[in-house]
Amino acid sequence: MGSLGFYLRKLYSIFRGEILVLPSRVAVVLFFLFVLLFPVISTDPYLLRIMVLTNIFAILAASWDLLSGFTGQLNFGHALFFGVGAYTAAILNLHFQIPPWGSIPLGALGAVFTGLIIGIPCLRLRGVYLALTTLAFPIILLGIVYALPDLTGGELGISGFARLSHSHIANYYITGLLMLGLCTLMWKITDSNTGIIFHAIREDELAVRTAGINTTRYKLLAFCLSGFFAGISGGLYAHFMRIAGPSTLEVSMSFTVVIWGVFGGLATIYGAVAAVFILFPLLEFLQFWSEYRTLMFAAIILLILLYMPEGLIPWVRDKIEKECPRCKLRNAAIRKTCRACTASLD
Amino acid sequence: MKMKNMVRSIFLTVFLALAMCFQAWGADVIKIGVIGPMKFMQGKGHWNGALMAADQINGKGGIQVGNKKMKIELVKADSNEFLNITDATNAMQRIITRDKVDFIVGGFRSEAVLAMQDIAMDYKKIFIDCGAADPELCKKVAEDYDRYKYFFRGSPFNSHYLGKTCFIQAATVGAILKKALGIPKVKVAIVTEKAMWAEPITKAAQGVFPKLGMEVAGVWRPSQTATDVTAILSAIQSSHAQMIFTAFSASVGITFARQAGELKIPAVQVGINVEAQKDGFWQATQGKGNYVMQLDTYCQGVEYNDLTAPFVDGYVKRFGEKPTYTAATYDAILYSLAPTIEQAGTLDADKLVSILEKRVYKVSPGTDKYIVDAKGRQTHDLTWGPGYQTGIGVQWQDGKNMGVWPYHWVAAKGAPEVTYKGIVPYKIPPWVLEAYKK
Amino acid sequence: MAVNILISGLISGSMYALLAIGFSLIFGVARIVNIAHTAFYMLAAYCIFFITEKMGLNPVIAMVAAVIVVTLLGLIVYLLFIKPIREHEAAVLIGTIALAIAMQEVMLLAFGGSFRSVPSLIGGYFVLLGVKVFYQQLLTFIVVLLTLAAIWILLMKTKLGLAIRSTADDREVANLMGMNESRVTMLAMGISVGLAALTGAVVVPLAIVSPFMWTNPLIVMMAVVVLGGLGSIKGSFVGAYIMGFAEALVVFLIPKGAFLKGPVALSIMILVLLIRPEGLFGVAFEEER
Repeated sequence: MGSLGFYLRKLYSIFRGEILVLPSRVAVVLFFLFVLLFPVISTDPYLLRIMVLTNIFAILAASWDLLSGFTGQLNFGHALFFGVGAYTAAILNLHFQIPPWGSIPLGALGAVFTGLIIGIPCLRLRGVYLALTTLAFPIILLGIVYALPDLTGGELGISGFARLSHSHIANYYITGLLMLGLCTLMWKITDSNTGIIFHAIREDELAVRTAGINTTRYKLLAFCLSGFFAGISGGLYAHFMRIAGPSTLEVSMSFTVVIWGVFGGLATIYGAVAAVFILFPLLEFLQFWSEYRTLMFAAIILLILLYMPEGLIPWVRDKIEKECPRCKLRNAAIRKTCRACTASLD
Repeated sequence: MKMKNMVRSIFLTVFLALAMCFQAWGADVIKIGVIGPMKFMQGKGHWNGALMAADQINGKGGIQVGNKKMKIELVKADSNEFLNITDATNAMQRIITRDKVDFIVGGFRSEAVLAMQDIAMDYKKIFIDCGAADPELCKKVAEDYDRYKYFFRGSPFNSHYLGKTCFIQAATVGAILKKALGIPKVKVAIVTEKAMWAEPITKAAQGVFPKLGMEVAGVWRPSQTATDVTAILSAIQSSHAQMIFTAFSASVGITFARQAGELKIPAVQVGINVEAQKDGFWQATQGKGNYVMQLDTYCQGVEYNDLTAPFVDGYVKRFGEKPTYTAATYDAILYSLAPTIEQAGTLDADKLVSILEKRVYKVSPGTDKYIVDAKGRQTHDLTWGPGYQTGIGVQWQDGKNMGVWPYHWVAAKGAPEVTYKGIVPYKIPPWVLEAYKK
Repeated sequence: MAVNILISGLISGSMYALLAIGFSLIFGVARIVNIAHTAFYMLAAYCIFFITEKMGLNPVIAMVAAVIVVTLLGLIVYLLFIKPIREHEAAVLIGTIALAIAMQEVMLLAFGGSFRSVPSLIGGYFVLLGVKVFYQQLLTFIVVLLTLAAIWILLMKTKLGLAIRSTADDREVANLMGMNESRVTMLAMGISVGLAALTGAVVVPLAIVSPFMWTNPLIVMMAVVVLGGLGSIKGSFVGAYIMGFAEALVVFLIPKGAFLKGPVALSIMILVLLIRPEGLFGVAFEEER
């Protein structure tokens, strides 16, 4: 009993010392709680459906940020991974009777393989050339999909395979826990040595090469990791919607992912997740104005870009936190002095 | 202070309870969800047809359900299915769980309807499809009856019969051509858009035309959104085909008709061309789409039975344009659902399904009877044939849509000739006649 | 058959060339990837539709008016939305995507989603080497050649052209040399949008007008620009015709696979990039510090 109290108090002091000090960390904790406890607030199947899709797309957007935000290789064809993951999971499930918890990872592996295939031609390309080339790949795959209608179902897609699970709440928790887990994993990757190298590749690839690091390997690694996570989100989507169709490969899907990523702030992971959680339900909420919905969406993006060109989350973060001029530690904005070195924050 | 709070909370609770009762008080309506791509013609057709039916029923006081009359309340849902399947499923989910509709009519894009069908079946709601022709939708009913029995086809008849009707129309035109142009054998160029729905028709066409005594000059598959088909037209010209069998559902239908008309290709077009069903086709082709013939459901002046003219004329008067087959939501509500509900005396879906699937009843484009397949299973798909639903062949003649088929059509040996009221003879384009005068 | 391919390739190549040159110009000068480029083309198409169908005026007047209106609109849009965020390339990218979507939605609201068309400037056709060619197609081809010549003269022989070229080469140094960089950019933007509008004016009688007509040309245009090398006018010109012929070849040689012309063209682009990562005539980027 005593040791339990000890651990509780330790937990509390860690909580107060590490988390409560920074508004952004508090926000993350609240976000986790929100995702985990949402079904307690509401079990309306419609709302749950929206949240499930938000979770799935959050994984997708985060995977895009991992590749494009961090390594600077702007991927305009992210729908490719999404579509490959979705179709592979669907085919495996339908023809080989592999259950969802097997078909989705295998679908993701298929997306990884695709990542390798497109990563290799893209190695020598830079900037806009890379962006436009990546745009081409899902379109080519779309052509292949239409050319092999017996395998892929043409424009009807593949349907009639197993669902993710039999209840809305179970669906929600599967996607929610996966989203939290995978996004945390992605964030951890960016916080590690590999992540630093990714950052560096974006800033100045030549310098990284002169430091003796094999950038080719890291760039391909970024493509594969990004493909893996996006493939998982594709597989989840297929099993949730029970249909894997050419709509998963469309240019509009690629563009939407880019919009989410840039809107939320490049090279942050949590920015992309936040962007999806804000924009996707917003778009759905605007349904009652169905004629003006897309126009409003575009207008919101334009306005946000005008005032926060770095992305929404970095802007918000700059408003609620300040960086100490002496020790470079982040502090809550309401503080007057740094919490570590007590230098004045103004 | 505490007293005030207590009074306030009691008041609030009573108020909330009353408000919830208000919800229940509104329950003397039958809610019907109309789901479709509302920004486009197909969705507008869904909504307009449903609106006409609802107004007609409510004008008479509503539907008799047991011992009370219930009015119809329509719930509009934009599925946006052309652009986004996710939106479609979200919309279906919303009208079922949020708006709590009792029945759903509509749907158009097969990929979307497949996904929406699943959701409706989850909640055991009767869903009448008024736009998708994919046989897969009704195959599911046969294979998993208990789950999919709530799904019915409202319009059109499935793509297998669409193909059959087209071939009959092509054969009819072929016979006319043979006689008028004085040629021994008619050559057909098959031009179908690259799309899943057109696959079976394309395959079937290559087998059917030789059997009909016509020669296949070639098969071309332009993309659905092709903006330039002059290459294909040149090839067709070089092949000396007299007939072009088309299967278009998207903008390529306009491009093809316009360019073929402008180039005065000496061949007639017959088959499926969804864009040609619309009033806007004439402007879209700059008037060059003259003499294009396509399969259609409605045409002003053509009557299948006594229900056709009131619907078509009423639709034109109210909405200013002729109805396309997605406006079959009118029949779905007025002739499928309403009488079934009155017969059953209840809104219980299972009872309604068992009554509806056995009914044989008149609708504005013919008569509905649901097919029982060779294995004796119900498919809830529409029966095709004279006396049931056949569709019509419509030809653009100088800016107007005129019905040209069935014109003295003999469906089978010994069967009576069929000509619907208002059908006129088919016209061959003058430049085709010119080309073959020599 | 060969004649068909030649003519078909020339026509589509010409259209892509017009679009690609405008896109390449603004990228070369200001490093702006204007994804809304083909959306301006769509706007011009609707302008012409509106003026000829609803106002009943002569198509030539419609064309001139459309070019002027759309160019002005493009400049306004640039000043309001793109100029403030020019420094952030990623933001410009999705900003132009959002702009294109906004324009699409406005057209959808104003004109509905049905397909429209615009009358030809010169109707009818003639027969060339056994192949029927529309007069409008010939007109397109001639206009493209004239425009290309005009652009070449502008860029090579005039002071403004010199300013544009030097700004494209090195923005900071051009600024130092006394050229008002933001004014040059604005002028380049105006020319670029004007070219897109001109393309709309000339090509639209051959195409179908719909709020979504900007997506297909966008992809091919970007492929052309990448293939030819970003920022290189000559590259865009050559790349456009390569793509045009590639598409024509696919349509003619594989009649059952005519829908594959897009993917095949894009595959060609990727293959070329594998060999030459900066495109055919592009300048290999020095790593910008």
